[in-house]
Amino acid sequence: MEDKEWIALWKSYDQKLDNNLILNRKNAEDITRIKIKSLLGSMKPLKIFTIVTGILWAVFVDTLIVATFHFASPFFLISAAIQVLLTKLAIGIYLYQMVLIYQTDISEPLLATQERIARLQSSTIWVTRFLFLQFPVWTTFYIGDGLLKNGGITWYVIQGIVTLTFTGLAVWFFVNIKYENREKQWFRLIFNGKEWEPVVKAMGMLREIESYR
Amino acid sequence: MSLNRDAQHFLTIIEANKGIIYKVANAYCRDTENRKDLIQEITIQLWLAFPKYDESYRITTWMYRIALNVSISFYRKENHRSGIAQPLHPEIISLQEDNEVPDPDSDITLLHRFIKELKEIDRAIILLYLEENSQQEIAEMLGITPTNVSTRILRIKEQIRLKFSALKS
Repeated sequence: MEDKEWIALWKSYDQKLDNNLILNRKNAEDITRIKIKSLLGSMKPLKIFTIVTGILWAVFVDTLIVATFHFASPFFLISAAIQVLLTKLAIGIYLYQMVLIYQTDISEPLLATQERIARLQSSTIWVTRFLFLQFPVWTTFYIGDGLLKNGGITWYVIQGIVTLTFTGLAVWFFVNIKYENREKQWFRLIFNGKEWEPVVKAMGMLREIESYR
Repeated sequence: MSLNRDAQHFLTIIEANKGIIYKVANAYCRDTENRKDLIQEITIQLWLAFPKYDESYRITTWMYRIALNVSISFYRKENHRSGIAQPLHPEIISLQEDNEVPDPDSDITLLHRFIKELKEIDRAIILLYLEENSQQEIAEMLGITPTNVSTRILRIKEQIRLKFSALKS
């Protein structure tokens, strides 16, 4: 079957639609009457809430670091500094997403709009990577002089194993959470659920868009 | 309650071009219920974008861009507007039932099936091609070069041709 025949087929389908499609004017009118937000616009409040909460947390931890700088354990200071740095990077990603939301115009050419929306959705994966990278600091922030002096060999061994395991896992997840691993069982276990499906599909869409450039 | 002039103008445009909305939605949604939701979402996005419509573009170009952008995003995002669509009735554009039962092996049914099997952007290209838009127009709607459009069309047509041949042989 040749493409001229397809076009002829399509025209006959078009003709059939012309004769049979009905616009429900009442339902269409309702759309013009109610106040409704765009899909992307509806994402803004949650993003703003996350950014504000993140900033408050970062200010709190920064203040704690400054206030306890002269007497706190170096383990606490370093752990808190790493945690707050990763929080700030995550806030940066949410700010980037807000910029993308403001820039996206659904009436722009397909590839430009789809690229923005796909970047917006897939950047959420970076927040998860930073979340995993925080693992080790939650095993070290409480270590003080007392524990170091009196912990004993058993504590040193257990603490060492736990911190090293968490560090290894954090780095491993940070490196391996990527689109290429989407079919792996561990990936599907973490990114299982309706909220992750569009994120993973968006990562695929970005690659598809690249092939059209 | 009477409608303002913008709303009336908008509804006239939707009435005249309802085929565009239906055909795009049909290419991206297999399921009837999802298609209703998608048609509603496209209409909402068209209405929201209507005040910013740039008259230097043809109205059909503007409609295709929005309908395709919404459909591709909708396709990715399963649970799109749950809750918000509640006060609206989803049936905006419907196909009046005719008594003819579609033959699953007819050429038009197969063509629809093969289009739905394509990747999202390829689906948009072949849809615009079958709607007899020029390569220049398709390039403008997609934001790629006409040469790129031409290469893509050739590849897609080859894919579809092979599928037809495989079935008919």
